[in-house]
Amino acid sequence: MSGLTGVFSGELGAALLVILVGFLPNEIWRVVGVLVGRSLDEDSAWMRWVRAVATALIAAVVARLLLTPSGALVAVPLWLRLAAVGSGVAGFAVLRRSVLGGVLLGEVVLVAGAWWLGIG
Amino acid sequence: MSALPNISLPPDLAAPVRHSRLGWFAAGLRACVSVPGLVLFATYVGFGGLISGVGFPLSAGLLSTVLMWALPAQVILVSGLAAGTSLPALALAICLSGVRLTPMVVAVLPLLRGRRSNVFKELFCAHFVAVTMWVEGQRRLPLVPVEGRPAYAVGLGGGLIAMSACGVGVGYFVTDSLPGPLAVALLLLTPISFSILMVRNASVPADWLALVFGFVLAPLVADSAGGLDLFWAGGGGGTLAFLAARLLGRAA
Repeated sequence: MSGLTGVFSGELGAALLVILVGFLPNEIWRVVGVLVGRSLDEDSAWMRWVRAVATALIAAVVARLLLTPSGALVAVPLWLRLAAVGSGVAGFAVLRRSVLGGVLLGEVVLVAGAWWLGIG
Repeated sequence: MSALPNISLPPDLAAPVRHSRLGWFAAGLRACVSVPGLVLFATYVGFGGLISGVGFPLSAGLLSTVLMWALPAQVILVSGLAAGTSLPALALAICLSGVRLTPMVVAVLPLLRGRRSNVFKELFCAHFVAVTMWVEGQRRLPLVPVEGRPAYAVGLGGGLIAMSACGVGVGYFVTDSLPGPLAVALLLLTPISFSILMVRNASVPADWLALVFGFVLAPLVADSAGGLDLFWAGGGGGTLAFLAARLLGRAA
């Protein structure tokens, strides 16, 4: 991955992208939250759909990060990337739902695997 | 570390004291140093590693942390730009991912509403709301006197943002100098923590279905035209999960 190319490669261009493509479409939902206030029914069909889409989107982002890795991660085989994330989630479930414990276990599996494969 | 008492009453709020506005701001700042705050810091170290890995400028990465303050959207932006996704498709995906902020703001804001509240003050306070702030705010804010809450929330939210920005800087500069296995560990921090947080937040069948559909659909639509892969995987997978959960609910 050579990174960003073309007109958006400069720092200023990237900052502009953060504002236009990142900040505005994201912040609008905080503004909506302030404006609609309590009239929002958290259990309405609309809100349940919204939650499902947001969840699926994050799952898709995770899948993309795992399938098309960047930087040093390219050298790690896909099975090890998946195994590390899988053991992180399993660790979370086993270790009394500790986020930190799960993350650490996933990382230990990854580092041990990478070391065993002689990566880096 | 999991033994830390992050469920019990925060010590700084155990005894109701009267602070000035600055005092409440400082109390909010102190409250950042907690397990959720440290997990957030670590995830942003991972984000710093990610932006350095794809060649995204540090300044823009920091700006995204302060202005967007929503890691999934930031990851979508950076990984999308690196993958050459079209800008409208990226904006659409970020917009879809941000919808979850609305109910969080709605849940936290009533706690913040003072006696003399105006909409601009509320918009400013709402900017700090993200998942950690939502969880911590609902836990801590009720213990703060109403007049101190906006200052406390800004201290807590601003402190979390500052900590996260430091994390981005650390991740950005450290990735290249780390030995192989550790650099790899840093880059995988984001997917691991996102997966765990998704599983933690999943409660109803629709959540689990959405998780699976999004994950499975993503590679299948990876080459979709116009860089709309996240739109199809997220919008399509989420809609399928929503409909399937309705069908399941009706059958049960």
